[in-house]
Amino acid sequence: MPTQPGPISADYKAVGGKLLRVRMTVTEDSPPVIQALRITGDFFMHPEEAIEDLEQLLTGVSLDEAALRARVRAFFDEDVQVVGADVDDFVTALLKAA
Amino acid sequence: MAVQEWRLLLTGDMSAFDNMALDEAVLRCVVAGASPSTLRFYGWKPSAVSIGYFQGIEQEVDLDMCREKGVDVIRRLTGGGAVFHEHGSEITYSLAVKDDYPGIPKKVLDSYTLLCGGLVAGFRRLGLDAEFKPINDILVNGKKISGNAQTRRFGGILQHGTLLCDVNPPLMFSLLKVPNEKIRDKLIAGVEERVTSIRREMGTVDNAAVIEAMCAGFAEILDIRLSLGTVSDEELALLERVKEERYANPTWTYKR
Repeated sequence: MPTQPGPISADYKAVGGKLLRVRMTVTEDSPPVIQALRITGDFFMHPEEAIEDLEQLLTGVSLDEAALRARVRAFFDEDVQVVGADVDDFVTALLKAA
Repeated sequence: MAVQEWRLLLTGDMSAFDNMALDEAVLRCVVAGASPSTLRFYGWKPSAVSIGYFQGIEQEVDLDMCREKGVDVIRRLTGGGAVFHEHGSEITYSLAVKDDYPGIPKKVLDSYTLLCGGLVAGFRRLGLDAEFKPINDILVNGKKISGNAQTRRFGGILQHGTLLCDVNPPLMFSLLKVPNEKIRDKLIAGVEERVTSIRREMGTVDNAAVIEAMCAGFAEILDIRLSLGTVSDEELALLERVKEERYANPTWTYKR
């Protein structure tokens, strides 16, 4: 059965793009730190398996806008094409769940 | 550049597992040089729900309802959204080429524009006012009639998509999860409003004529000649292998 990292979740529809659905568990810290994360939705990412790298890259990161943006941007700068959502959309979806 | 020879496959109705496995098998053989660039048309029997590579199956699909109605559920190799493929109500196509095929843009978004252009040309041949709507839709008279999805892997490009012959939003939404029951009717009404079908636009559906028009559309925009071919033994063997490894395997289907 699919793992459901919860209980924190949010859906965010990128303007002119696709839906990002974020589920995660976080620590009690302030700001909280991501312990487990799953990003699902109807977007496109090439290569597809890179989504697992992104989830891994964001695990252990504080739910802080600058920290999240730095990680997501670094991921986008790698050899990956994301269609239907940009860096800001991923950051917005993650913060919305927080 | 000289006109390129492509293979046309008409494989009729198959199960979701065979359909998705054959798309992958053809892609792998095209990349390996064992098969020519291929355009394929097919249908679904039994009806099935496919979800995009990145979607959460339990977030998107009412699995109990699918079981009850005998609808298969499958995870695609491609991203994008959940689709209800109703038996007899959809013509599905897939296209497989090497990723260095001349003229196909490296940027995925640009390649949707090009390849969906073949379908737009096909719909226009049927007399329909079709247009490509980024990211991956085709509209007729402003309403969605085709959704498309692409993957690039193994060194190739696979694009597949739907050509809607009939729409049945109430059935579709009985199989897909909705955020809450109160808005189910609203979602159904929204789809009725935003989605159309070949039957709605033409009054009738002639599958052979639709496929012929789409072939002509692709031939026009890609400068290719299509010759009716068959699935190779190698592709059939690969189909069985990737079906077992992936599409009919719960580890794959339930991975997200």
